[in-house]
Amino acid sequence: MDFDLYGDDSRGVIKLDPRTKLLLFLASSIVSLNLYGITSMVVFSLLLCVLLALCGRPGTALKAFIAFAIVAYLRSCLDAQGTGSAGVVMICQALATIFMFMFPVLISLVMLVQTTRISQFLAAFQAMHLPATIVIPVAVLFRFIPAVQDEWQGIRKAMAFRGIRIDAQSVVRQPFKTIEYMLVPLLFSSISVMEELAAAAEARGLDAEHTRSSYEDVRLGVADYVVIVLFGGIAVYTALNVRRAVMGQ
Amino acid sequence: MIRFDNASFHYGGEHGTGEGVDDIDLTIRDGECVLFCGKSGCGKTTITRMINGLAPHFYEGLMERAVYVDDICVSTAPLSTTSSIVGSVFQNPKSQFFNVDSTGELAFGCENQCMSREEIQARIEMTRDDMQLDALMNRNIFDLSGGEKQQIACGSVYAAQPSIYVMDEPSSNLDRKAIRRLHDILVRIKANGNTIVLSEHRLYYLMDLVDRVVYMEDGRIAAEYSAAQLAAMGDDELRRLGLRCASLEHLQRAEGPYAAEPASVTLEALDLSCNRGGVQILDIERLTLPENSIVALIGDNGCGKSTLSEALCGVIPSGGSVAFGGTYLSSKVRPRKSYLVMQDVNRQLFSESVIEEVLLNSDASRERALEVLDALGLASCADRHPASLSGGQKQRVAIASALCAGKDILFYDEPTSGLDRTGMESFGQLLKDTKDQVKCQVIVTHDPELIMQACTHVLRVDNGRVLGVYPLDAEGIERVRYYFLSEDDGSTSRRREKVSVLGKIWSYTGDHKRKTVAAAVFMTLGAICQVLPYLIVYQLIDAVVQGRDLTLQGSVVPLAGILACLVLYAVLYMFGLQLSHRAAYRTLENIRCSLQEKMEAQPIGAVRDMGSGAVKKLLNDDVDSIELLLAHMIPEGIANLAVAVVALLVMAAIDWRLCLLTTIMVGFGVSASGQMMATGVDKLGTYFASTKRLNNTIVEYVNGMEVVRVFNRSGESYQKFEESTLNYRDFALDWYRTCWPWMAVYGSVFFSITLYTLPFGALLVLLGQLGISSYVLCLCMSFGIGPLLTHVMTFISSIPQVNYKIQALEKAMDRMPLKTGTAAFEGASHDVSFEDVHFGYGNDEVLKGISFVAPAGRMTALVGPSGSGKSTIAKLIVHYYDVESGRVCIGGQDLRDMSLEALNSQVSYVSQDLFLFNQPIMENIRVGKPDATDEEVLDAARRAQCDEFVTALPQGYQTPCGAAGAMLSGGQRQRIAFARAILKDAPVVVLDEATAYIDPENAEKMNAAVAELVAGKTVIVIAHRLSSIAHAHNIIVVDDGRIVASGTHEELLAVCPLYVALWNASEEAAFWGLKGGSAYPDEASAHESEVES
Repeated sequence: MDFDLYGDDSRGVIKLDPRTKLLLFLASSIVSLNLYGITSMVVFSLLLCVLLALCGRPGTALKAFIAFAIVAYLRSCLDAQGTGSAGVVMICQALATIFMFMFPVLISLVMLVQTTRISQFLAAFQAMHLPATIVIPVAVLFRFIPAVQDEWQGIRKAMAFRGIRIDAQSVVRQPFKTIEYMLVPLLFSSISVMEELAAAAEARGLDAEHTRSSYEDVRLGVADYVVIVLFGGIAVYTALNVRRAVMGQ
Repeated sequence: MIRFDNASFHYGGEHGTGEGVDDIDLTIRDGECVLFCGKSGCGKTTITRMINGLAPHFYEGLMERAVYVDDICVSTAPLSTTSSIVGSVFQNPKSQFFNVDSTGELAFGCENQCMSREEIQARIEMTRDDMQLDALMNRNIFDLSGGEKQQIACGSVYAAQPSIYVMDEPSSNLDRKAIRRLHDILVRIKANGNTIVLSEHRLYYLMDLVDRVVYMEDGRIAAEYSAAQLAAMGDDELRRLGLRCASLEHLQRAEGPYAAEPASVTLEALDLSCNRGGVQILDIERLTLPENSIVALIGDNGCGKSTLSEALCGVIPSGGSVAFGGTYLSSKVRPRKSYLVMQDVNRQLFSESVIEEVLLNSDASRERALEVLDALGLASCADRHPASLSGGQKQRVAIASALCAGKDILFYDEPTSGLDRTGMESFGQLLKDTKDQVKCQVIVTHDPELIMQACTHVLRVDNGRVLGVYPLDAEGIERVRYYFLSEDDGSTSRRREKVSVLGKIWSYTGDHKRKTVAAAVFMTLGAICQVLPYLIVYQLIDAVVQGRDLTLQGSVVPLAGILACLVLYAVLYMFGLQLSHRAAYRTLENIRCSLQEKMEAQPIGAVRDMGSGAVKKLLNDDVDSIELLLAHMIPEGIANLAVAVVALLVMAAIDWRLCLLTTIMVGFGVSASGQMMATGVDKLGTYFASTKRLNNTIVEYVNGMEVVRVFNRSGESYQKFEESTLNYRDFALDWYRTCWPWMAVYGSVFFSITLYTLPFGALLVLLGQLGISSYVLCLCMSFGIGPLLTHVMTFISSIPQVNYKIQALEKAMDRMPLKTGTAAFEGASHDVSFEDVHFGYGNDEVLKGISFVAPAGRMTALVGPSGSGKSTIAKLIVHYYDVESGRVCIGGQDLRDMSLEALNSQVSYVSQDLFLFNQPIMENIRVGKPDATDEEVLDAARRAQCDEFVTALPQGYQTPCGAAGAMLSGGQRQRIAFARAILKDAPVVVLDEATAYIDPENAEKMNAAVAELVAGKTVIVIAHRLSSIAHAHNIIVVDDGRIVASGTHEELLAVCPLYVALWNASEEAAFWGLKGGSAYPDEASAHESEVES
């Protein structure tokens, strides 16, 4: 349970604006819904992985692309041979296809989350002139995920001392009791953390009605425009193409 | 200016209790520092909330009248307005951060005030420099310790530069150094003319800072004191008011010093190690805690206190063995026998009522549980929901559940942070009451008052190592006081980077990455050649199956191909290995050099502590083990894995079903080896630790052979040897026993992959779904990849071993390096001055505020009884160690600003023990000045009176000295040292017992040599033979780390009784020495040192 929400773009060759990454996420979702050809899928995924590598996660990008390439290869093997019982073939094909559809979405999500700090998000949202009533809850949500992780780790340790086990056996035997053991301390400690957190944030001047400046330098650069044009173009093109194909039928 | 206009506030709303403050009528002027104190629940936190506007804006309640800051009524103005003039720091470090990264957090306040980016940048830089936050910048907040978080919180407010600072118990999670830094920050804030309002239980660090102390009681201002009035109060009066002590100077154990009674060991840990994120945090050889003790676990923020207690409890993975009450227990059993009362006690309350909570998973009866609750004063809340209790009550519920569950060892994580005097004392009482019910209690704490109140022992941890376990007797109390009063304020936070093993090794590879990559490429080609013959065999078989004739002529080409492949395989593999070895040994060279550099930068004492055996093992054996990884694992592993994967993919192209089957089998094998690694890793620490102990015993056995034989101790010594050998055998067997079954599983799976493909493939062929030739191809492939995978697995299984060694390597070198600058010597003169220098080795303070000036060109002598700190002073002049506080200067320039080279050119240090290299005498003298000509060397030797004995040697100046100068007598060696120093001609000369080998025969020569050496220099001399320093310009008498007197010989004889005693003893010894000395020169000095000690 480690989302690694501490975004770090310091190793990146290019630093993309969080807004660009958001757009990229949107574009990837559109493309993966509208793309069917295996070649175009591979090309699009390759593009995304290259971008992820440039943004400072070359290891993740390489591993992800190798995984994608292997799955794509296996799927094409499967299609080409046409042997085996229909049920097994269908399950295998479905699994491979789902993976390939999800892939662009997952990669752009990883890029969005792992290379962006919360303060960058905030700055980007402000630059987009989103109302603070939306921005602040989103930021708090992001802040809350690692806090809950932290609490959960502490609670697991506390459970070890009390001989409370969280495993398949105890879940089956006494599901409600187990959930209670998990939730009671989590809720009570989270509530107190959240209240103090809110008090601290307000006392330090966080206010929905006031504009904030930002330490983070979020600005659309050349790289952002290139990425926006490229991926925006691909998304629009694929969407139009599919519509034309559907209309043509 | 802050003005409370007769204001009252009572908490109301949904969770309101009606508590609050009444009729506060108070004015705080600009630039004032006001401290609010009082018992828990007296309303001091509410006061801070009224100033920063949280009451009533955030905490709902009934506000009467108002509070004004300057012209703003903060009770009605919005929080965002207030926040720009009032900066707040809160008590709980974990819940006051909005960002996840530390730098963003520092900027948060500034951002809310809508400052420009450049301004924020400048503010962050200023904060970082002023608060020493370098190591904490750009970090994940969740990776920081509580104290580190609190520093960021203070920094974040400081960056916003409000005119009023409101702090609610800012010190509650801080260690002594951080408190000192907080104090310095407060001084700085106050000096800038800002107002500070504090609510705090800890008073001692604020005494020189506060202008007014407002004492609160039941929500009203009960009294106002000045700091001086508070300081003048006796302990009883403070207790009556419920206040903590105002000064640590006179802190005493509540019941007088603890009389240490022999107790059996109840907790023993051997070779405890713990790794997190690729860094070894704990490195503990042996730790024992006595039975029925209350142990205070102290150490600076981030030094591993929590990690140590969690590792001992077994809730985090650790290496080594831990015994409770004499039985070694695995980390699965330990949590059942121990209990950790967490700082955030909400996490460990699971049930709906207190009584259920206490009985949860425990064998105790209801009566027993009620009894325990009653003893803890909780009987009345047995049926309440734990969440409805106060913090202190929750803590006691947790303790009650531990007592009912019959736990042996209790750990508490900072239980008294944020408690008032009464709370702290009743907690101390609780500890004493439970003392007999459990075997041992360990308290992680930064609270010296609690330690003095209740503890019997102290366990001091520093940077993951145990510095000592000592009872709180008179000496122990002194040590604790020293620890908390030490003026060292350096930040001990370090950057911990998460790097994987391979990444770490890769970073050492440096310029040889290309070679390693090339090696991997060659080996991959080689591995392909290993698989190709199977494909050729397939073609041959295929031909037969297809019914074609298999002629000799036709099969010559394939057979030749197979042969060629085998030859190619051998050649490519050899070539790859050669490349990888070349890269590997170059990398080892890099690692050794980087280790040497790190060692160079460390205090000499730290290196000595490690022992030459350990250093040898580190630089030689441990580094060597990395060779395996670099030369074999990385290139061969990559090659074999790549080819195996390619083979599987080819198989998929032929028939996906057979590929799937093979992949499943391979996955099965890999998961088996993964299991092996997971179970093996747990025991690895123990295994290596016993290897280390075996090594040490062997070294000791050989080194001590002489003593062993002389004193007829061979039986005893052999027993120890045998013990550690047996120990090693058991651990090694244990480790292999864990690994064997898994090894067997994956070994058999990989070798018999064909076994699973064969029948399934045959079935498909019979069903007509698979061509026979494809079937044969798949079989051949399976044959091919088995050995490759087995190869990979052996490498993978040794990765944790190598990882462990690398982490141990890095841990061994992670002590704080000496603080050295880069400046050249720029001092105005060659005066050596000490300015209020404090220094200690680990637990004990050796120098307690030494100040003196040794003027240039004069002789200053240091005298005093053994262990008074004389030699330490001498060692500080040559910067063997860093001082804790104060400065050591030459000509007004701090030693820490100079580079070591610059310092060494200014100071000659001649000590009693002299190391001679096994080189000719000429070269040994030349060490003092490497570019000296032979004439210069000879001249120096003459002046040091060496000429006479050196020319008598068979080869004169070319005579080798033998190992460490074994050929020469003590007095002769000493004169060679003088010759070195004369040759070096540094303006400052430090003589540390340099004339210890003097005897009547060589006295004249020695004195002449010394006279040559010191002429016109700044001389600092330490001598036991006081007659030799009686003529010194200034004699400084040192006792117990303090200067007791100074003056000339005559002056001191008149006024200083200690000097008179030393003088008389020395005269007597000199007389003794004369009698025995004529025949046995070496014994004379032995006598001398005996008299000394």
